[in-house]
Amino acid sequence: MRTLILSVLILLFGSMISTLSAQSTGLEIGNKAPEIRLPTTKGDTVALSSLKGKLVLIDFWATWCSPCVEEQSQLAKLYSKYKQSVFTNGKGFEIYGVSLDAKKSNWENFIRTNKINWIQVSDLKFWRSPVAKTYNIQGLPFNVLIDDNGMILAKNLHGIDLEKQIGSFLKK
Amino acid sequence: MKTKTLIFLLFAVAASVFATKEFSSQSQNDPWTTQQLLAPADLANTLKNPKSPQPIVFSIGMQAVIKGSIDIGPVMEKDNLDQLKQKLDKLPKNSNIVVYCGCCPFSRCPNVRPAMALLKTMQFTNYKLLNLPQNVKVDWIDKGYPVSE
Repeated sequence: MRTLILSVLILLFGSMISTLSAQSTGLEIGNKAPEIRLPTTKGDTVALSSLKGKLVLIDFWATWCSPCVEEQSQLAKLYSKYKQSVFTNGKGFEIYGVSLDAKKSNWENFIRTNKINWIQVSDLKFWRSPVAKTYNIQGLPFNVLIDDNGMILAKNLHGIDLEKQIGSFLKK
Repeated sequence: MKTKTLIFLLFAVAASVFATKEFSSQSQNDPWTTQQLLAPADLANTLKNPKSPQPIVFSIGMQAVIKGSIDIGPVMEKDNLDQLKQKLDKLPKNSNIVVYCGCCPFSRCPNVRPAMALLKTMQFTNYKLLNLPQNVKVDWIDKGYPVSE
């Protein structure tokens, strides 16, 4: 009997540890995405955590990064297509654009000219941005897809792979 | 059997000539030589040693990340390229010059080519391009090399 109780306790403890570990902040799929709190072009701070409840694509980009610039039109299509959709892991789709630009005018002009209508934030610190370090970004473009609880679902998907992944979460 | 071997050899020679041509034409497009690439560790060691002769380091990209470097701005923009030219006009042709951008790999960087081409055209004799294969974060900041305040 004692052995049975001990075994159950060990199993419970193990399960608790594994749950805690799965919820830990990190950069692996299944980890909780690290918080980001950065200003928009107008200066208001928008926290990544404020988007809780939605499926969110964190898009790291810059106006000086040509593949990132090319990708913005695809993101616009995805945003328009899925903004109001209901997913198995989020109600609505949001893009949280984090720019590694250094010059505010370049960043602002691009957003205005290209009519980007999703959230855009930046500390204008180029590669010295603490966010680049936190997310261990090795190059641009880079993105992270997170669920309604901020857990990482996928990393660095682009083009058709990104669209397929988002589409796969649609609630049927 | 001999014919087959001959065909194989001809194919191999043709392929290697084609590959060499491709490689050399890519290299010829870049206005620098392998000898003009400066390893980040070498520059970092020089910057850390005040007794060592210090190069003039120009940031020709988005931000002057490296400690002591002169911020020119992205030289893909004509105004910034003109500003670099003005600075270079005042320097002796044998000045020890290093330029860097570090936004992205050289293949995609819009700034390194105009800067290196200008130095070549102006007939400088002792200039280098900082070899940042990925970007200034991975190849400089993450390695703990000196950064500007």
